[in-house]
Amino acid sequence: MASLHRPRPRLLTAAALVLGASLALSACSSAGGGGESTGAAKVSKKASTSQYQGTVLSKNFDKPDLVLDDTSGQPYDLRAKTAGKTVLLFFGYTSCPDVCPTTMGDIGVAMSKLTAEQREKLAIVFVSTDPERDTPQVLRTWLDSMGKDFIGLTGDLSKVKTAAKPLGILVEDPVVDAKGAVTSTHGAQVLAFMPGDDKAHLLYMAGTSIDVYKHDLELMANGVAV
Amino acid sequence: MSSRSFRRSALLGAGLAAALAVGAGAVALQSGGSGGAPRLTVADPYIPLPATPGGMGAGYLTVRNAGGADTLVSVSSPAAGSVTMHRSTDSSMEQVEAMDVPAGGTLDLSRGGAHLMIMNWTEQPSLGDELELDLQFAKAGRVVVRVPVKPLTYRPGS
Repeated sequence: MASLHRPRPRLLTAAALVLGASLALSACSSAGGGGESTGAAKVSKKASTSQYQGTVLSKNFDKPDLVLDDTSGQPYDLRAKTAGKTVLLFFGYTSCPDVCPTTMGDIGVAMSKLTAEQREKLAIVFVSTDPERDTPQVLRTWLDSMGKDFIGLTGDLSKVKTAAKPLGILVEDPVVDAKGAVTSTHGAQVLAFMPGDDKAHLLYMAGTSIDVYKHDLELMANGVAV
Repeated sequence: MSSRSFRRSALLGAGLAAALAVGAGAVALQSGGSGGAPRLTVADPYIPLPATPGGMGAGYLTVRNAGGADTLVSVSSPAAGSVTMHRSTDSSMEQVEAMDVPAGGTLDLSRGGAHLMIMNWTEQPSLGDELELDLQFAKAGRVVVRVPVKPLTYRPGS
């Protein structure tokens, strides 16, 4: 019987980040995530006085060189299309009941509190970890519930894995059970790439509140440096 | 939101136990004792409107237990073909066969943690609908809960 009353690893992770500890994200994953360490995702909260409430990355990952289909079915070159924009990047799948709609929905609520001009400065990008079922149209319908201007990318899963790995984001092949339920293992963190150098500077764990997103998205839209 | 559902026989059982305890001067059935009957209430149940209309859904609720330990062993609903219990982990989620409801404690199904996964709706859920979830506990038996469909980003207390 699974006990549900032990402290969740995520909470421990958050606590560790606040304390300024440095840790590998992959070490915190369980349920099959532990075996395939993608390593390298060292994060630490700097002692600096960043105005941002997200976790400031000490290693600034490059924006992935990723070309997939967007929700209109057209090729979308992530680097070319989002150069000079702030990009929030999340990997997930639409038949995910809990973490994916919660994370994207919360970002959507935070975005809705910005002005149209502020929203223009930001690109919210969702990359499917279940491209077989997440067709461009399926993605569009799902994303529209959270943000009409959210960008959805889908296509070759091996490209998705290759893009995610250097970011310390684990992506595995989806598993479909007898009832047709899909489970995709994917790192649930959101990375923010800043327009100055198109590199990742901030990280948001699953469970980040709407208030934190609103606070930080506003700073990003106003061009505040990390 | 207040408690929505009681297991009548569980309450009767607890009352009977209390009466016996008074009559016999026994102390074995005092509150929170793991040997006592569970006394369950369900608080703050909700189903966020699925992001894809009629698509994969989740269910959240809190089971409070003023009595002895119990276990949630299954959940079903006339509104859906499949309701399963899951727990989100840092990078995935895993199906669980049962969930503990500790003596004098709570079982919390909330975002990013334990949750119900609801598939194959008999009818596409809409905002404002109240759907039935049937919670089956090992000791307290069946608890029927009416669960409102809330906005996608709803949280209790918001």
